[in-house]
Amino acid sequence: MKNILLITSLIAFTFFSCEKPTQTDLTINFTQTVDGSDLTTNSMIYTNEAGEDYDVQTLKYLISDITLHDENGDNILIEEVHFIDISDESTFSFAYNDVPNNNYTSISFVMGLDTTKNISNKYVNEDFHLEMFWPETNGGGYHYMKLEGDFNDSLSGYGTHTGGTMGGDYSFNDIKDVSLTVDDDLGNVSIDINMEINNWYKTPNQIEFSSYGMGIMMNMPMQMDLKQNGMTDVFSVSVNK
Amino acid sequence: MKKQLVYLLLGTVLLFSCKKEGCTDPIAINYNPEADINNGSCNYFSTTPFIIETPYGFPDMNIPSNNPMTVEGVAIGKKLFNDPILSFDNSQSCSSCHLQTAGFSDTNQFSTGIDGLVGNRNASTIINAGWNSSNFWDGRTTTLEEQAFEPVVNPIEMHNTWLNVENSLNNSEQYKQLFKDVFNIEYIDSTHVVMAIAQFERTLISVNSKFDKYLKGEVQLTHEELNGYAIFNSERGDCFHCHGTQMFMDNLFHNNGLDPEPFTDNGLGEITDNSLDNGKFKTPTLRNIEFTSPYMHDGRFSTLEEVVEHYDSGGVYSSTIDPLMKKLGVGLQLTNQEKEELVAFLKTLSDMDFINNVE
Repeated sequence: MKNILLITSLIAFTFFSCEKPTQTDLTINFTQTVDGSDLTTNSMIYTNEAGEDYDVQTLKYLISDITLHDENGDNILIEEVHFIDISDESTFSFAYNDVPNNNYTSISFVMGLDTTKNISNKYVNEDFHLEMFWPETNGGGYHYMKLEGDFNDSLSGYGTHTGGTMGGDYSFNDIKDVSLTVDDDLGNVSIDINMEINNWYKTPNQIEFSSYGMGIMMNMPMQMDLKQNGMTDVFSVSVNK
Repeated sequence: MKKQLVYLLLGTVLLFSCKKEGCTDPIAINYNPEADINNGSCNYFSTTPFIIETPYGFPDMNIPSNNPMTVEGVAIGKKLFNDPILSFDNSQSCSSCHLQTAGFSDTNQFSTGIDGLVGNRNASTIINAGWNSSNFWDGRTTTLEEQAFEPVVNPIEMHNTWLNVENSLNNSEQYKQLFKDVFNIEYIDSTHVVMAIAQFERTLISVNSKFDKYLKGEVQLTHEELNGYAIFNSERGDCFHCHGTQMFMDNLFHNNGLDPEPFTDNGLGEITDNSLDNGKFKTPTLRNIEFTSPYMHDGRFSTLEEVVEHYDSGGVYSSTIDPLMKKLGVGLQLTNQEKEELVAFLKTLSDMDFINNVE
């Protein structure tokens, strides 16, 4: 009898030692569109609201404080900072495992880093530390976004670089309603967070690349315009069950 | 019968329970009795760990788990780095083209190999190379270990074969003993040669420049240097996008507008076979830039003034030029004074301890 017990527990141990029981895993995907179509890089096929033709060669951005909110007003932080680089597919999504059973009603996130996070060398061991560096002499911390390419005759480049100009906070919180009931039977689920690139330059502030001059990193009115446009309609969210 | 069943099941458990990686050699000091798979991390009694303290503002160095740093391993690496035994005719060492006084690069535009043949790129510096995510101007190797395999057999460099190198080293009682002590190997193979060299290269850390001392509040920069710093770190000079952080490089590749197409050297594009990468080269660190002349992948500029002049001009158009270089025909329009200030700042990145250290 004792042996049978031993054998049973050994078998159980063998089978469960490397595997976890099934539960709901959530994948967050980051997608990018221009005028509703999936982004194609390095192709001079886009036109902004001001009528300038442009392409996208570089797109790197930070999304932070990604949080699910439930119907009772509680929330779970599912990622502190996520770095998306359009040239690296491994950055397009991340997984959050074991989502607790609940009725989730909204998801919120911050475009960029708020002042509690936007500190020089705070993320020294993250992949984005070198690529998103923002000089101390201009407030320090990290670029929220680098969106770069050529415009018009291809002889001119633009760099939509947003960040904490002169120590200001131009990050913004975005919250979107979702309808997501997680129970043991749900299986895996994903949420897409889409960036509509043309909307950075559209409403309420029409922005022209030709007005960037030597760059916009020290240009506080421009950072504010981009923040306002970003809050208006740059991001949208969809749930895939 | 019951006992047999138990053994059978125990065997099953062993087979199916999680395999653990570690050092499986009982004579190693880091022998892990729970490990099933030897991952090459074994460290032997005669070695002392070489601790790399992460400098302020630097990420942790990414050291391969199968090549842990030891004081003795670094010492062999240094000996090998300076030993012409690696070249076919015993005439050149790594240090022949990577001179410490030049930030471990070559003061010649192109290096000359043992057969008198000349390359087409300026020898890369070895400064804080332990933080490189790729090596060579075109990034064709990831680790320093992989990098060290190449110059030994390159026909225009040391023009040797690894078999020949192994024979030479195994004929040396001294090297045989050293490798035995550090890596516990009876036969010196190429893998352990490059491991030792890479260990040495990871110790070539430069973080004691005037600029570092300024950041620590130990010295003050001059008015001129501070102005240069401001130009460097703003879009006025726009140096920081590629040469940012305390690393003064971004571990990425850019076309900085040196030449029109077609390029004589496609750089990264030759490795990726992607025309969008043509003309892109790895960003070098600017630390000790005062000593690493000549500049650019092909060593075309001999002075920092020429380099600044290039960026000030805005560069030459090509389809892959970096969007941030797109002030074509306009340039930065720095005044002569601003150019001098920028060069003055660059010289604060000189680290005399690093250039002269004989340890």
